[in-house]
Amino acid sequence: MAQPGRAFSGEIPVERRFPLHLEPAIRSIRDLYDQAKQARWDPERDIPWAQFDPSRYSPEVLAAARLSWSRKAWTEYGGLPETPALIIRFCLEHERESDPKYFLTVRNTEEAWHLECCHRFAELCGGFVEEPASPAYAALFNQGLHREALDASRSLDAYVAAHIGIQDGLDLELCRLHRDNATDPVARAILGRLVADKTRHAAFGWFYLETRAAGWSDAERLTIAAEVEHVVYDTELAGFRCVWLCPDAADIAEADRITGDAGLGAAARADEEPVLRRHLADAAAQFSRLGVEASIA
Amino acid sequence: MSIAETSTQPTHKPTLLDWPEQRFPLKLDVEIRKVRDLFRAATRNQWDPRTDIDWSALEGLDIDDEHRHAARMYWSRRAWSEYGAISESPALLIRFCEEKREPDLRYFFTIRTQEESRHAEACYLMAQHLGGYIQQPALHDFQKSVATHGVRKMALDPETPLEAIIAALVCAAEEVAFDVFRHLVEITPNKAANQVLRSIMRDEVRHCGFGWAYLEHRIPRMARAEIDVCEEAVITMIRDVEMNGYHSAWLAPDSEATRGEIEADRLTWEAGLGATIEELEKPVFVESVRSIRKRLAPFGIAIPMFEHPKFDGPI
Repeated sequence: MAQPGRAFSGEIPVERRFPLHLEPAIRSIRDLYDQAKQARWDPERDIPWAQFDPSRYSPEVLAAARLSWSRKAWTEYGGLPETPALIIRFCLEHERESDPKYFLTVRNTEEAWHLECCHRFAELCGGFVEEPASPAYAALFNQGLHREALDASRSLDAYVAAHIGIQDGLDLELCRLHRDNATDPVARAILGRLVADKTRHAAFGWFYLETRAAGWSDAERLTIAAEVEHVVYDTELAGFRCVWLCPDAADIAEADRITGDAGLGAAARADEEPVLRRHLADAAAQFSRLGVEASIA
Repeated sequence: MSIAETSTQPTHKPTLLDWPEQRFPLKLDVEIRKVRDLFRAATRNQWDPRTDIDWSALEGLDIDDEHRHAARMYWSRRAWSEYGAISESPALLIRFCEEKREPDLRYFFTIRTQEESRHAEACYLMAQHLGGYIQQPALHDFQKSVATHGVRKMALDPETPLEAIIAALVCAAEEVAFDVFRHLVEITPNKAANQVLRSIMRDEVRHCGFGWAYLEHRIPRMARAEIDVCEEAVITMIRDVEMNGYHSAWLAPDSEATRGEIEADRLTWEAGLGATIEELEKPVFVESVRSIRKRLAPFGIAIPMFEHPKFDGPI
């Protein structure tokens, strides 16, 4: 059953702005920021919208695709309130490096482009759907991540581990699968752009964790492991991204199967399940190398 | 470990962060065309401080150490100021999302924050090319002069009307900043400094345009009492923030820090590296306030004349 967002402690950190570090400090993340600026794109110009021909698809397929792409938009939307909260949190942490802050500002723009593309494509397929049919499935989206990111009682590193290491990584792998399944030129172009951006988003998390890992105490490693396990079991294995795991979202799982079969950029359980298993196994191994033993594989 | 510093502040009254998220229904259609167009324009007009500025124009400058140090300080100070928008303004995007405001605002603010990071990066690079970025002010007073408007706190406070924040922060403060940028572009001869100022100014045009488009959309839907709150917020911003030296040190009360800042500005201006001086900026400021007053009047927002010891009469 979907869990609502967790409680907010009522405390946010207090900023002490100076000394203000703006120099590059985490080279790998600064490089991602520089790459992102150079890889800038424009949904209006870089997606071949005019090539979408709805007459190629049956009404059943278009109905499925509008739901599949609406669901992508619901998911992408999460970044709009979450990323600014994360930017603020990095700014509030005393004497933190500038690289994550800079990088996250670009990530937020990219999230807006992703949202715009998913919404527009859902419209082309018949109309964006504003909410899930199932309230139980809808509740999975109300995680309130912006509150968690700003909550002084929660570890920023655990947040990054769980929400970027696990969730952004899974998002990337599923997006890659959907792109590889897509034959429609517009769906494929959108997903190609998403994969390129999300590759940087996922890399950011691991680069950040690698720079932090040496300083973690045993207690901190346990905190990180617990947060990772929470996100895996209470969100992802509840069907947030792999919708076939959510018994209340069978309509969307079926839509994804039809959309995927038509080459419009989704996939069925048979294709997604191995991706999910592989990602969790890879993430568990990666965390283990950082000294965090999370029971997620 | 990065659990936040223990010096936290209890939120004594509820903020937006106490509200559980309610994502649905999720409306994404265009509601304010002008703002959506600004988002699209911003997407088309991105730039990269690393590659789009001719940094070679700062090589071999014929200036003495005093002028160079002043310019380093000026651009470092400008970087601190730009950074404030990265640290504070994203809270407005959280507000737009949680209050389910028009989707165009949310789209636009994602790229606005990125633009602020470009500005901070460009100013940092200017300081670096002039001998090195300076991480902090030398004097405590100086720190106060780059303190923020408290945007983050206001943005997360549901009792502070969003329209009042936008009117004060964007239609007043950012409008003044834009007019000063335009002035700086006109008087700054060094190519790299001019390019940085011009690039920032082009982004700021959209930032200001956002504020005016939003007020144009909202004011007809607001009650008189709500408009009065906007009016008071703008007056406070001009009288107590701008005319207290937020953007222009010569307007600030006299202190050692203020005198140092004014002198750094003068030396940087002399070197042609991008600052201005009281004599040149004064008419720009007067015109800026006059223009804000004129543009707000049709919205029913009446801005009075202001007095300040630096001006002979009311402005």
